[in-house]
Amino acid sequence: MMKRIIYLLLIIVMPIYALANDEANILLKKGNDQYAKGQYKEAITTYQKIVNDGHQSALVYYNLGNAYFKNEDVPSALLYYEKAHKLSPGDDDINFNIQFANQKTADKVEAGTEFFITKWWHSFILRFSLTTLAVLTILFIIAGSALLIVYRFTNSVSIKKWSFYSALVILLLGFASMFVASRQDQYFDAHHGAIIFSTSVNVKSAPTPNAKNLFLIHDGTKVEILEDNNGWMKIRLASGNEGWINASDAKEI
Amino acid sequence: MKIKLSILTLLLCCSSLVFAQVKFTASVNKTTIGTGEVLEVTFSINANGDRFAPPAFGGFQVVGGPNVSNSVSMINGVTSASIAYGYDLVPTKEGEITIGPATIVSGGRPYSTTPIKIKVVKGQGGQASQQAQQQSSNGPDSRNIQRGRVSDISKSLFLRAEVDKTTAYLGQQITMNLRLYTRVNIANGEPEKIPDLNGFYSQEIKSTNPNAQWRTEILNGVRYNVTDIKQTILFPEHEGNITIEPAIMNFIVRQQAASTSGDPFDAFFGGYEDVKYKVKSTPVVIHVKPLPLAGKPAEFTGAVGKFNIEASLDKNDVKANDAINYTIKVSGTGNLKLLKPINPTFPADFEKYEPKITDTITENAGGSSGNRKYTYLLIPRHQGDFTIDPVKFAYFNPATGRYVSLSTPAFHVKVAKGTGDGSNVTAFSNAGKQDVKVLSNDIRYIKTGTELNEAGSDFYGSGLYYFLLIFGPAGFLGALVYGKWRDKNNADVVGLKSRKAGKIAAKHLASAKQQLNNKKAFYENLFRGLYGYLSDKLNIPYSDLNREKIASELKARSLDESLINEMLDTLDLCEMARYAPVSGITEQQVLDKAQNMINNIENKI
Repeated sequence: MMKRIIYLLLIIVMPIYALANDEANILLKKGNDQYAKGQYKEAITTYQKIVNDGHQSALVYYNLGNAYFKNEDVPSALLYYEKAHKLSPGDDDINFNIQFANQKTADKVEAGTEFFITKWWHSFILRFSLTTLAVLTILFIIAGSALLIVYRFTNSVSIKKWSFYSALVILLLGFASMFVASRQDQYFDAHHGAIIFSTSVNVKSAPTPNAKNLFLIHDGTKVEILEDNNGWMKIRLASGNEGWINASDAKEI
Repeated sequence: MKIKLSILTLLLCCSSLVFAQVKFTASVNKTTIGTGEVLEVTFSINANGDRFAPPAFGGFQVVGGPNVSNSVSMINGVTSASIAYGYDLVPTKEGEITIGPATIVSGGRPYSTTPIKIKVVKGQGGQASQQAQQQSSNGPDSRNIQRGRVSDISKSLFLRAEVDKTTAYLGQQITMNLRLYTRVNIANGEPEKIPDLNGFYSQEIKSTNPNAQWRTEILNGVRYNVTDIKQTILFPEHEGNITIEPAIMNFIVRQQAASTSGDPFDAFFGGYEDVKYKVKSTPVVIHVKPLPLAGKPAEFTGAVGKFNIEASLDKNDVKANDAINYTIKVSGTGNLKLLKPINPTFPADFEKYEPKITDTITENAGGSSGNRKYTYLLIPRHQGDFTIDPVKFAYFNPATGRYVSLSTPAFHVKVAKGTGDGSNVTAFSNAGKQDVKVLSNDIRYIKTGTELNEAGSDFYGSGLYYFLLIFGPAGFLGALVYGKWRDKNNADVVGLKSRKAGKIAAKHLASAKQQLNNKKAFYENLFRGLYGYLSDKLNIPYSDLNREKIASELKARSLDESLINEMLDTLDLCEMARYAPVSGITEQQVLDKAQNMINNIENKI
């Protein structure tokens, strides 16, 4: 019975973890080689091709961001770093490079101080990628269920005891990871970001070209999109300043 | 002497000199005299003249003159001459007497003096002695100095604050001259009070010559020595009537000592006395009009006068982080020093510094004029095409009473990508940003994995995800259902077994019956049949079956004690018969007994 369940799980879960696409993997290897040789422009083209083929992968986004950075295109680098960050929010390399690339941008946006519990909570829910959390949830729930089945059918009292408590713990872990996943999903939904691509953008008070200029931001600055309206987007900086910019001045993460 | 003079006159007349400006004036030493006093009348021409004809001097008696004085000077080959005809007159009657015009011909043209009105009052008489005094080039003209004692100094020594206009617009410049008029000898003079000039922005006109510049001026027909004490340019700061407070000066007037003997020689050689005298100018009221509201441009900030504005940019094709200079120059006449700062709008991306203001402004009797330069240092921080908007400047022209708007051209600046990324960062990063000390000065290396082994983010929330999520609980539920079914089924098996127990026992008994002749096999079969029957019937595994268990189980099922004992006896018998011969009972009897017992149990359970 248990064996059967495990085999079934493996059959279902394995393909998710091994989206093995030979062509994409070959391209990835080629891109890495080009990057290693310092041919950053060529590496960009190669990585971009993988992305254009529909592969969403923190690894490709990260490598593409690196190639853009080496090519001195900081806004594009930040865009792909942020994309990678979204897929793998707990990755140290990605977070480090975001921080590093941000030093090359013109605007210093002072983020409002976060309450330490909020900060801790965010770093906690962003520790693992959404996919990892989803897979963990499934594995925990299935394992817990299996242990409950063991509990039901065993005749030995000690096994019964052991299986019941471990099932309880594992099921709790499963629900916790499900909750964290939903929080993370909501976090990225609420923090819908974009990177400014125009050299300097006047942020206006209303979505019209002759509205008052509120402040000025430069390429590479990360903004949060609050609203979309007829080719204009309402943005907010980490510092809390809000205003409208032309949608063409920024690229969504 | 006379011959000499006439020769000189002749000589002068002969010299044909042309003068640009011929002035022929008449002057008196005082306009009001007492009877018996001597009135000096001087007719002077600053050129050669002939056919001088004095007026009739009606009402006067000529007591001296004509005293002709000639002066000829030759400077750089240009000869200039002047002639003065002096008469001493004594009025013959009181009242107003007019000295008629004197005429002279100079350069073929006739000139005449303006008539002078003299008021003759009853006087004490007395004759002023003549005192010759040399005239220094800049000093007061001695001829304008009254001789003898002056009874009323106020007429002969006064200050006047003269303004070029008494009605002005707000901010329009006014020139004020504080002038000293004197006909007495001044030994010393010092200001006591200089007007505060409240309500004006004032600027003093600095004189290049520290010494007083004296000149002769005729006021109401009387010759005065005049000097400008102070020249100031005033800019009214508010509308309404603004009063310029009087200036006060203290002078020491040197006069001939009063003659004790009345001897003119005494007066001539006699000493002098110094008299302290305070002079106060009359206050001047300036009417300041507000600037008209009609047609006032938005960019007007209070410039009044006549101006011009220019702007220039030193270069318009630069690299990011290179400095450029933008200069605005306002030039003209007016309240330049009061100009409000001009605020040109620069692209927001330009770093701009406070402008450097350079004034080249001079003040003179004509007013304040020159230019003011604003130099802005701009540093474009990012590449791109930028435009410096035109600067608008407006001023009010009091001469025409209208506002004038001026504008500079717009400038286009092309900014190329700057050299060095680092400067870009340091320019904007302030303390907080620079604090970040990056030890590893580069991004982290790419992830060199060659397998795209990461799942898409869309797994979470997908159908597969939810299917797998309910897979576990569903399996568990299935297992529960299965367990329940199995339990129920197992319970049936027991029942069936027990139900079938009799039949199986019967089978065993039947096989035992066939072995009636073989004693050992018979008992063995019978024993197995009974044990098997009890095992199935009582649901006790065969291995757990023993005498005590059978007794307790049968008791639990409330069977008769005798029947239980009989069963146990039979089982004991069967066990014993396997090893030792049995006596007193035949196999057939034992079989029947067993059959009866099974039937009894079947009936009861």
